[in-house]
Amino acid sequence: MIRRISPNHDRLQSLNGTWRDINGMPSLVSIPGDDRIVANLGIADLSFLTRFGVKGAGAVAWLESQKLEVPDRANTWKPLPDGGIIARLGLTEFLIEDSLHSSFALRLAEACQSVPAKVYPVLRQDAAIVLCGKAIQDLLRQTCSVNFQALSLAEHPVILTLMVGVSVTIIPILPDRYRIWCDGTFGAYLWETLLTIAQELGGGVVGVDRLI
Amino acid sequence: MNQRRLPLISGEWIDRSQPIEFTFEGTRFTGYVGDTIASALWASGQQILGRSFKYHRPRGILSLANHDVNTLMQSGQKLNIRADVTPLEDGMTLSAINTFGGVMGDRASAIEFFSPFLPVGFYYKAFNSKRLFPFWERLIRNMTGLGQVDFSTPHIRTAKRYDFCDLLVIGAGISGLSAALSAADLGADVVIVDESARAGGSGHYQLGNDPLQLEKTNELLSAVENHPRIRLYTQTQAAGYYADRWIPLLDRDRFTKMRAKTVIAATGAYEQPAVFRNNDLPGVILSSAAQRLIYRYAVKPMNRAVVLVANADGYRAVIDLITNGVTVVAVVDLRESSLKSDVAQTLEQQGISIFLGYCVYEARANPGRDGVSAAVICPIDVNGNPQTGFRQTIACDGIVVSVGWAPAANLLYQAGTKMRFNKRLQQFVPEVLPSGVFACGRVNGVFEFEQKLIDGHRAGLEAAAHLGFDSQIEVTISPELESPSHPWAIVEHPAGKNFVDFDEDLQYKDFLNAAQEGFDNIELLKRYTTVGMGASQGKHSNMSALRILARITGKTPGEVGTTTSRPFFHPVPLSHLAGRGFTPEQRTPLHSRHVKLNAKFMLAGMWQRPEYYAQSGKSREECICLEAQAVRHQVGIIDVGTLGKFEIRGADAAEFLERVYAGRYSKMKIGTTRYALMLDETGVTIDDGMIARLGAEHFYFTTTTSGATAIYRELSRLNTLWRLDCGIVNLTGARSAINLAGQYSRDVLSKLTDLDLSSVAFSYLAVRETHIQNIPVMLMRVGFVGEWGYEIHVAADSAPALWDLLLEAGFEYDICPFGVEAQRLLRLEKGHLIIGQDTDGLTTPIEAGLEWAVKMDKSFFIGQRSLQILAKRPIKQILIGFMLDPNFQGTPPQECHLIIHGNEIAGRVTSVAFSPILNRHIGLAYVKPELAAIADLISIRLSDGTIVSATITPTPFYDPETSRQQEDVTQLQEVTV
Repeated sequence: MIRRISPNHDRLQSLNGTWRDINGMPSLVSIPGDDRIVANLGIADLSFLTRFGVKGAGAVAWLESQKLEVPDRANTWKPLPDGGIIARLGLTEFLIEDSLHSSFALRLAEACQSVPAKVYPVLRQDAAIVLCGKAIQDLLRQTCSVNFQALSLAEHPVILTLMVGVSVTIIPILPDRYRIWCDGTFGAYLWETLLTIAQELGGGVVGVDRLI
Repeated sequence: MNQRRLPLISGEWIDRSQPIEFTFEGTRFTGYVGDTIASALWASGQQILGRSFKYHRPRGILSLANHDVNTLMQSGQKLNIRADVTPLEDGMTLSAINTFGGVMGDRASAIEFFSPFLPVGFYYKAFNSKRLFPFWERLIRNMTGLGQVDFSTPHIRTAKRYDFCDLLVIGAGISGLSAALSAADLGADVVIVDESARAGGSGHYQLGNDPLQLEKTNELLSAVENHPRIRLYTQTQAAGYYADRWIPLLDRDRFTKMRAKTVIAATGAYEQPAVFRNNDLPGVILSSAAQRLIYRYAVKPMNRAVVLVANADGYRAVIDLITNGVTVVAVVDLRESSLKSDVAQTLEQQGISIFLGYCVYEARANPGRDGVSAAVICPIDVNGNPQTGFRQTIACDGIVVSVGWAPAANLLYQAGTKMRFNKRLQQFVPEVLPSGVFACGRVNGVFEFEQKLIDGHRAGLEAAAHLGFDSQIEVTISPELESPSHPWAIVEHPAGKNFVDFDEDLQYKDFLNAAQEGFDNIELLKRYTTVGMGASQGKHSNMSALRILARITGKTPGEVGTTTSRPFFHPVPLSHLAGRGFTPEQRTPLHSRHVKLNAKFMLAGMWQRPEYYAQSGKSREECICLEAQAVRHQVGIIDVGTLGKFEIRGADAAEFLERVYAGRYSKMKIGTTRYALMLDETGVTIDDGMIARLGAEHFYFTTTTSGATAIYRELSRLNTLWRLDCGIVNLTGARSAINLAGQYSRDVLSKLTDLDLSSVAFSYLAVRETHIQNIPVMLMRVGFVGEWGYEIHVAADSAPALWDLLLEAGFEYDICPFGVEAQRLLRLEKGHLIIGQDTDGLTTPIEAGLEWAVKMDKSFFIGQRSLQILAKRPIKQILIGFMLDPNFQGTPPQECHLIIHGNEIAGRVTSVAFSPILNRHIGLAYVKPELAAIADLISIRLSDGTIVSATITPTPFYDPETSRQQEDVTQLQEVTV
């Protein structure tokens, strides 16, 4: 039985794509013709990746005790071994997202059954999106007031802002690849809005096999 | 027909290889790609392009600079097209707006005969009479309007976007281009915008037949266009200035919010008309417009011109006219003497008469009234008064006017620039600019070509220095040799029609009369006369109005001051303002399940919630009724994932809850839940929910749907303030919640879990963490709708699977999904109130009957102190339940209907519905305490004034003993009234 469902699941169902179960979640892995889109402006759903959140004054020490290298500054991120991300969302709040090849989130969730004082686990059920392609900046300029081109990607910035009126966390992984997370209940709206504009810019939905 | 088209002009904008066919007022015309509508019509000899707003006088080209509001046109569904700047398109079907019977024979022009009855301040005077108000309103509405709206016009979702730069240069004229280059050369990321189709500004048309100037302009433009750090946006208007250098940029296709680190206003100046009788005739044209016609569109403005001048620009215009085949029959110079320039000498050598110290007294119309037949000129005295005894009439078919400029300083004003009036220049110039804002060129009082280059360079360097680039600023600007503007280019005429404001047909005498009536302050004068309130926003009239008022009041223009400039200073298409907007909405993880069940959705805050589930052949009310009955008799299921859901952990978690909620929680047993009421500092009820204790230092709690965001923000603030040892996590979006309610709810659930669901093991108001078919869930035994039920909380991504399982398990019990409306009815039967519906911004727990949820003996909670004070005062209202007679027929009361007692308002209804299980209407209402006795009658006034009687009834209406939560009771109970 399929158990997990992405917040963007309904938006993808009408596409004539190929699906695969990833981390217990049906995921759109390819769409005919998405190879043409991916270089220009693609949008893909990565909600299937496992993730874990933690906050509190003791979060840094606890994460370090779990053998994780923690970003030393607020609003920055670091890659996890075997892919994945650890993002410092504020002074004491963290988002950990696995790649397909890592399992930190699950391990931390288990470890969190008994946590020390001042460590508060945060259930993460985000709508997780990736944007790719050379027209990303055009899309961002229509949807978000942050000047992303002024950011230094080498400093691994994490941006907490509003996009089309929704609170989002954005990480520019590469100049042509941006990750976006939002509250899953806003996922459908964010997806539809971004996709509408992306399509105007010659982009569209791509399967995750194009990106991972 | 291109009777006025000139031979090829170097740099012309038109493409003669691409002719364009179009119609204007039913007549076919031809133009070229690159033409504007006005230039193509003028080239074809069509001089009447529109009618004036009030008197419907014929009007033609005036500025050709986006300010000719008397030549607004309509093409199909497109309204208010500015003919002077809108590019001509193939197949356009154009007509002038605001005419009755067409632009050539506008019947409304008869209004001019009644002009003595349309004095200044006409609107105020007309609407002063209440009796005549409707008459004037109808008449004016019928007479006015700009174009005919086609309501089937599609909504254009004009894109909006953000953009960023180090330096935004507004205006791509000589100084703007120079400034952009200087800053970009030092490393700045520069954006330069210009409303014109091409950059270069006056460097391309105010030539005075100087090829060197054209060459320099092209070199400058080429350097800008090829600079890697400069983005040049033409046909883009900087329409306003907002705080922190946020500039809205408008082009045809989008609306850009530009955030610039620095701004240079190189916005230039608006050429100003002279005021004389019939100065609005087609053929009376500003010199810059004449030069644009020639050099941009290769159109001869007229054949025989009288040129009214008062500055060097005017003489340059004369040269350009002569060079391009126009016969200049006279130059009329308002000044007693002008510089003996080379230009003047050239004119004299060509036998062109120069009348120094003369004015144009009036323009005379040709027999067709579509142009000029003559200019009447006469000397003026030192005060600018015409000496009419020395009039001369000079035959001509056009009058070119070059008497002065008004700075395009709107954006500078909006930025907070302090301006001063420079008497020598006769112009307002920046005195103190805000940090990061710079000005250059004409708006800065610099008019000569070479000086504009230098001034732009200076501004660019200053902006670069502000940005932190290494910049050496040693620039000297030479002062203007002569004033570019005349202080009084206004000529009185006993017959009037000497227009100051072309938008509103305001004549010189209107200002005198307004001042005489007491409106002698510039802001009052503006509102009374409506000067500057038309579509061009006073770009051609404000300066003249200001000068007139200064003369009337004996002040200087600087002392009179300017009116306030607000964004947008130029009209913005509604398609841009009403373009793509973002209205976020939230959907629960079960949204698609509701869609499949034919839910009718409603907005609850930002949430899309099922109001009810439509059934074929049944009305909304019937569907809601059936859903409610299903819950009462079988089992229902509702998505309550919109509730605010929070977790709090830590040694001080209980203490925190004790402080923010009015109840007592520190001694709650693990595995139990308790109702929680939240107050503000004034003791007003602001939210409620359930608190579940999951561990000694671990609580889970809910809030209302609408309160979640604000409550989390407030709790976070309080947690920071109090520094308690606890942390709050907002799980509203991460967790979903489903309420399973009804006598078979336990049977349904027992099919899916091994948990002991007996009332002994899992009693009413208990909470358990368990699994349903391997899905981790938290179960709360609560009864908001008054039935045995479970609120099941689950991770959002597992909610659809859980919903499916519950529906499948409930199939044999006729499980029925129910929506918000059925839930509202069910809770009303149970007498449970909804915060925000049955309370308002002043309701205390005492008034709402919620004292039981308030533990005043606690040491502290928010609102406690206020409640202690309020408890000593008599309460003004109390929440009661009421029922209508079971046999009631007719229109039932609605929420917000008033309770009436002795012709006085004694309360209001907050909730009302027909209860199928009680078979009558029930409701909640606030009434005065003295009227709240059980079994008393209250009178409810309906919207139509009808009074309906109701009986005050104790609540809950349904199951007052809460027997539905007991294991062995399934019989329905009803209150006996």
